[in-house]
Amino acid sequence: MSDDDRYSVQVTVVKQECKEADEAEIIEEFRRYEEEFLIPPEDALRSVIRKFQAASGQEQSSTFAQPARVEKKVGRFADLGSDDKNVTIEVGVVAYTPRIQMVRGEEKQIAFGWIEDNPWEASDKRERWDFKDWGDHGANLAPSSVVRLEGVSVNEWNDKRSININRSSRVTILREGGPAVPAISDEPVTIVKASEKEGFVNVVARIIASKPDVIVKRDGSGTIDIVRGRLADSTGSIGFLSWVPIEHKVGSLVKIDSAMVKKFRETPEININDRTMIEIFHDKSFASTEELSEPTTVQIADLRNGMRDIITTVQVESWQSRTFTNAEGEERVVRSGDVMDPTGRCRLTAWCEIEPKPGDFLHLTNARVQYWQGSPDLVIDKLDQVSNITDKPWESIDPANHWVDVELTELVSGGSRRGITTSGVIVAVRSDSGIIQRCPECRRVLREDACAEHGVQRGNEDLRLRLVLDNGVSNASLLLARTPAESYLGIDLDAVKSEIVKEGQEGFVAGLRNKLLARNVIINGRALVDEQGAMIMAEEMTFDSTSVEDAAKSVMENWGVVL
Amino acid sequence: MTQQTTRRNARQSAIRIFAQEYSDANLPEEGSGEYDPSFIITKLGAKINRALVGGVIDRLERREGDNGPSYNGHLRDATGGTHRFNIAAFQPELHTDIEELLHRFEAGDRFLMMVIGKARWFESDDGGIFTSFRAEEFCVVERETYVRWLVDTAAATLRRLDAQAASLESDLTPAGLEAAGVPKDLVDGMILAKGHYGEFDAEIYRVGVLQGLHMAMNSSGNFEAAPTESFDAQPTASTEPQQSTVMDGVPFTPTTSSEPDGNVDDVIKTAISIADQGQGVPYDSLILAAVQAGFSRLVAEDAIDDLRDVKCEIIEPRFGFFQILDD
Repeated sequence: MSDDDRYSVQVTVVKQECKEADEAEIIEEFRRYEEEFLIPPEDALRSVIRKFQAASGQEQSSTFAQPARVEKKVGRFADLGSDDKNVTIEVGVVAYTPRIQMVRGEEKQIAFGWIEDNPWEASDKRERWDFKDWGDHGANLAPSSVVRLEGVSVNEWNDKRSININRSSRVTILREGGPAVPAISDEPVTIVKASEKEGFVNVVARIIASKPDVIVKRDGSGTIDIVRGRLADSTGSIGFLSWVPIEHKVGSLVKIDSAMVKKFRETPEININDRTMIEIFHDKSFASTEELSEPTTVQIADLRNGMRDIITTVQVESWQSRTFTNAEGEERVVRSGDVMDPTGRCRLTAWCEIEPKPGDFLHLTNARVQYWQGSPDLVIDKLDQVSNITDKPWESIDPANHWVDVELTELVSGGSRRGITTSGVIVAVRSDSGIIQRCPECRRVLREDACAEHGVQRGNEDLRLRLVLDNGVSNASLLLARTPAESYLGIDLDAVKSEIVKEGQEGFVAGLRNKLLARNVIINGRALVDEQGAMIMAEEMTFDSTSVEDAAKSVMENWGVVL
Repeated sequence: MTQQTTRRNARQSAIRIFAQEYSDANLPEEGSGEYDPSFIITKLGAKINRALVGGVIDRLERREGDNGPSYNGHLRDATGGTHRFNIAAFQPELHTDIEELLHRFEAGDRFLMMVIGKARWFESDDGGIFTSFRAEEFCVVERETYVRWLVDTAAATLRRLDAQAASLESDLTPAGLEAAGVPKDLVDGMILAKGHYGEFDAEIYRVGVLQGLHMAMNSSGNFEAAPTESFDAQPTASTEPQQSTVMDGVPFTPTTSSEPDGNVDDVIKTAISIADQGQGVPYDSLILAAVQAGFSRLVAEDAIDDLRDVKCEIIEPRFGFFQILDD
């Protein structure tokens, strides 16, 4: 079938509307819609007509006509008219009563109550109105709170005015009202679950370590006695810090109610205070202290700051030693190097004399984990923690080519890692991408020629690209430092500089957006993960070269779709 | 230094979504705190604060306001639906780029675009919710990039369809849904969607998925053999009249020889009131009804515009779909 026949029906319609339009051009337009924009001719009809109408100067009417609603911001109820809509006002909530009401045959939860204007003034200067909440905003309208209402409307009935809070209205709490009731589940959770969140938890666990400790107050006003220790169940273990004496001995199985999980240096910790209840729990099948105190065997991908008593095996990639003088004036030697296992890579620091060669396999026991520049590093203190093993636990890894594939969502929800490959789509190009000035003292980025720490400086030029990588479920900041940026751009810092001079900073960023936005890319690098989210430092960025057919095939396989 | 009292909200991921699913959504969720994000929740349980959407530019216009110009645009994607986006007066950093595109558009150029946008909505006085996006970043893309988006969006939609199917059998609790295999990121939205939307036929969203995948598979081949009609034929019985396009075998040549019967306005209004089941009636169906009643296409188009813009008896809440405006 030729294009002429394919689109004949649509072409006839377009010709009726736009008598002067050239038939070949119309056919070409339908072909373009179908082949380039993937819109079938029947769907494209109206678009094409509009285009040819515009070309011939025929009047087009706007269909965007949604009258812009003007926001009315008032301080007092008295300033409101009886038919005001989209009102913004700050009020105090006096009462809130939920009720089920039938609305058009459907049960709907609505609520009514009283609000007062002028909430920051004395109560004799306030006016009280009724309100109805149609939008289930109860969580934000606690009695005695002060809130800002946006997008509410005035209702007048029998000469009495009231406020309607609609579903699209916005309620912002300015001052909390009654006691906030934290959602607590009474069910105890496993240690692993407890470690994942911050907030109140109940756990059943065995105390596997416990010893008194002392915290010196920062202001020098004295000390606080505390207890530090460790709790474990079959899913894992977690440190605890108690502000009250713990009467239960090591080995006791206890149920702990209303403890608080907090994170200290990335490591979750259970806080026990005078409101926490601890009681002996009986469960004969619960794992014994010995079982629970076994050091845990982990791989590099599972390392988290603050971990102790780890067993792991690594392959050495490089090794150096460094001599330094510590605060006490002693000369000390620290040895460190890059190590790998099949799940990734990290650094190993040794405070004892070991001189492994690249390619050696080291078996570590009782190792601990410390953060260094945002990445978890293994640390060993004594020689008896290390053994050089000759039986290869895995085929030697080639360090030049060791990137472990980690899906973005897994990466973002895990800990910091080195040596990873991940993929996603670029959804943002930050406008400060390009040339920056760094403080010569501390490498901080200078703002208006000044460093936050070292004042006005003549900066060192550097190049970086700041992007956001996103896979539709998770996202991470993506940073390309000078070397990977130069290699992606295919030009060096000086060439970037002259491009910015020519195009302007905005032009340079616009160019980046056109090249990068919405593109699927593959990143090699390392990831730093903390509460703020994840940041990936790319060592290499390439466009995903998977053909769309292959991508579509794998989607169809994955979801069992047959065309 | 100001004290940082609250932890900054983590950036919301850009949901991949077809126009059809997004424009069907009418459940907003406002954050409670000052900086909490707001969302649009779709029938399939997607919780959308930010999205990555694409399509061919279908409309683009500048509007002058007191604070400067703002821009409205429509992107039409492979599902035939339209993503509306807006660039506000307070986003001057985007104005240069959009002006350039506006210039191309007004010169008659059409191109594929991708927009990263934040969900926003408009509530009409009768409680209808109309969804759109405020663009954060956008760019013109090659066909290949767009098709890859179609594939990724098809996958994301299939994932939601799968979760939605799993949710039918399970308790509407976070634990129940997770046990039924609903991915963590969809649990919240699924509960909200179930509580708000009535029963619906999720299969209509599969049509868009198939369309997207089909185009990817035929991407490098030629289009001659593409039987696109096969994907149009599946909607449920109840939506049949709205879904039918002008191409469903109805001859489109107006029967100018016969006398038109009745008033064209009445024909259009009657057609809307019969066919409207809450979603509005598509433009093409109205034209078809008018043509079958003996009016020319031009008369029918003018009448629709007139009813909407001058007489204000009908509204176009969603691009291409009309409803009677009853006050």
